[in-house]
Order: sequence, then C-alpha cells, then structure tokens
Amino acid sequence: MTKKTSINFSKAFEELEAITEWFEKGEADLDEGLAKFERGLELAKVCKGKLSEVENKIKELKKKFEE
Amino acid sequence: MTNSVEPVLQVSEYLKLANQVLKLNIDGYAFAIEGEISDYKIKDGKWIMFSLKDENDPSAKVGCFATTFKVSGVFEDGMKVRVWGPPAINKWSGFQIEVRKMEAVGDGALKKAYELLKKKLEVEGLFDISRKRMLPRFPERIGLITSRDAAAYGDFARILNNRWGGVEVLFSHVHVQGREAVPEILAAFRRFNEMSETERPEVLVLTRGGGSLEDLHAFNDEQVVRAVFGSKIPVICGVGHERDESLCDFVADVRASTPSNAAERVVPNRQEVIYEIETMTRHIETRLTDAVDDKQFLIERATNLIFTAADRQKEKLSHLTRNLLDRVNNWLPRFSDRLGASLRVLANLDPKRVLARGYSIVTARGKIVKDAAALEVGVEIGVQLAQGSLGAEVLRVNGKGKIKLI
Repeated sequence: MTKKTSINFSKAFEELEAITEWFEKGEADLDEGLAKFERGLELAKVCKGKLSEVENKIKELKKKFEE
Repeated sequence: MTNSVEPVLQVSEYLKLANQVLKLNIDGYAFAIEGEISDYKIKDGKWIMFSLKDENDPSAKVGCFATTFKVSGVFEDGMKVRVWGPPAINKWSGFQIEVRKMEAVGDGALKKAYELLKKKLEVEGLFDISRKRMLPRFPERIGLITSRDAAAYGDFARILNNRWGGVEVLFSHVHVQGREAVPEILAAFRRFNEMSETERPEVLVLTRGGGSLEDLHAFNDEQVVRAVFGSKIPVICGVGHERDESLCDFVADVRASTPSNAAERVVPNRQEVIYEIETMTRHIETRLTDAVDDKQFLIERATNLIFTAADRQKEKLSHLTRNLLDRVNNWLPRFSDRLGASLRVLANLDPKRVLARGYSIVTARGKIVKDAAALEVGVEIGVQLAQGSLGAEVLRVNGKGKIKLI
C-alpha cells in the first residue's frame, strides 16, 4: 500500500549509486556537489526507511478453473 | 442351417465393431501397462512407433503408437516404461496401444531418460549461459511456485523475511510431485506470464525439497523445462538438497541449491544493503569535505599570495620612502646653504642698500634713467633717495654717453 506513495527502492538506490560515482570522478563543482550531497542523504534516508519494513506479504493466488 | 440368417460383415465393419468393443471394455487411462521398449523409431519427427515387451516373457509383445505432441521426453530401446492409452486395431499395423502418456520406470530407466533428455535439450541450446537473464536486484513482487504443504515453502518464506522486507509474494500452490504436478506447474507459469505488466512479478521462484529421481520427475519434465525456458519472467529454480540436480535447474536463469538458497538468491541481505548505503553516504561526505578542503586550501593560498604581494609592495614603498627621505635629508642642508648664500648675494644687490650708501635713482616718465642723453632740458624727473624722494627739472644735459658724477 505504501508502495504507490513512496519512492521505488531500486530507483532510489540506483540514484544514490550514481551520485557516489559522480563524486568518485572527482573535480566536483562545490555548488553542484552540495546539492548532490543533500540529495544523497535524502535518498539514503528513503532507502533505510524502506529497509525498516520487515514484513513480506504472501498472497495466495486462487485457483483458476482450467480447461 | 437352412435359412438361418447370419449377418455378414465386411472387414472394415468388423474392425469397427472390434474397436468399439475394445473402447467400451478397456479404459485406456485406468491403468498403465509396464514393459520394455524395443524397436523404438520416430518417423518424420512426429510419429513414434515401438514395441512393448514383457520383461519376464520376451515373446509377449504389443505394438505401440504415439505422437511427439502427446509424448515428450526421450526414450530408447531397453528402457523400462509405463504407458497409458486406449487399445485399437489399426488397418495397417494391427492391434496396438495408442499411447497418450509414457514415463520411464525404475531408477535405471529414469536416469537414462533423464540423461537423454538433458543431452537433447542441451544440444537445442536451452541451457546456454548466454540466454540467462539478470534478476532485479531489489524485487518488489515475486512469484512463488511450490507446494504450501512442503517444507520448501516454510524455508523460503522464513529466509525471505530474515533477509528483506516489503516484498509482495504471489504464491501459486502446486503439487510438486505426482500426477498433478506437471499440469499444475505449467498452469502456474502460464498464469504468471499472462499477467499484465503492472501485476506481473519481476521474478519467479520454482522450488521444492529433495527427493528421489521419481519424486523430482516434474522438474525433469520436458514441458516444464520448456515452460521455464519460455517464461518472459526470469526464473530461479531451487530443487532438492545441495547435490540434487534437475533439468529445471539448468534451464533456469539462476540456479539455487535449495529452497532457502533460492530466497537468498532472490533478495539481498538487509544488513549488507544498509552497510552499502552507509558506505556510500560516508564516501559522498568524505568527497565533499575533501572538495571543500581543496577549495579552502586554494583560497588560503590565493589570500596568502595576495598578502605576500601586498607586503612586498609595502616594503618596496617604505624602502622608497626611506630612500627619498635620505636624499631629502642630504639635500636639504646643502640647499639651505645655497639659499643663504643667494640671499646674501641678493641682499647686496638690494637697491635700497645702494641708496643707503648715498646713491639715488633718477626716473623720468616712470623709467629709470641711466643715460643723461635720454633726457631733455625741462623734463621733470624723479629722484629716489635712501630716505624719501623728490621731483626736479632738468636744467642742463651734459655730454652724451658719459655719466657725470655730481
């Protein structure tokens, strides 16, 4: 249910990876770096929040009547 | 004898009757017929023909006919099999069983059938590494195909919960062995693959616990293997214990050794991902601090440079000033000496002092008269003395160009 509202975990994680890689390349513009840094922290928070979900929902598919 | 009317049947009518009797009296699906294959042949890649021999009485033989559409798997002479299907008398080949289903029997035959099928599928390229797909790293929806009564189900769910959360598991309950297993597994694959893109799971997990080759038959069934191969959704297969293998394992995109291992392969470990996120944020932080430090260093260096330059300028300036002062100081006394001398000279030249000595200055028409010839008799002149002045009139002019002292 929370899936719709919250950002997709893999998207957030990938973006965080991309930011890390951006910093890795060095020659960082400070303004841009600051913006990316803030975004990175935000993404990390989102990801960690998502990780605190402990439950997995198991939904059994009803048998369809077959031919 | 006379007039007794005996019906006469044509051969084809007789065959029809016999077939009807056979059909009514022998239910081809009620039992299996077990025997050993001989004279196994496939014609045109479609028609399978062989004889089924009684193991204990090799002279007891029955012909069998099947199509490759109905019977999958690979068989060969000498294999012990069970066949299902109605009997029929065929115009061309006589009495035979129309085989609808056939299975290898006994460990030897099963093993043999398994190896043959494996070889065939391998040659066909179903197990090629190049067609293995990547699984999503963080799946949100997983399709699970197993039996709810099997330990595999519990193992999978437990490990899944230990490792990761927030996943929706669409569970399709199937028999994992026995008669219903193959059709149910096939149906589950169809169902998941027919789902719309929005409700379709990102990965399918096909799993069951260990068992004998016979127990695992559904996972070695050609149709199931092809269903795994044809699935639009990537498949993880985890069958049995560590060393069990099944054909589904080979065809799956990812092969897990056990149901628990399937859970490990399908979702990452929460702790590891947290660690990874922390490492990344730390890394970003360090990088940013480094960048700030770098800039700070640059600024400091620039400031230092400017200050040094300014200092140098200042020093130069003070040096100049000092120099200048030195020069001025040197020059000033000499200047005042010279000034004093000049003043003295000037003072000597002062006309007033000359007048004081008794001289006087004569002016005519506002001009100093230096030559008597410039004057005429009767002109009014002025005479300036040391004290006061007076006006006079010229009475006489003496000589020209000669100054006559009075």
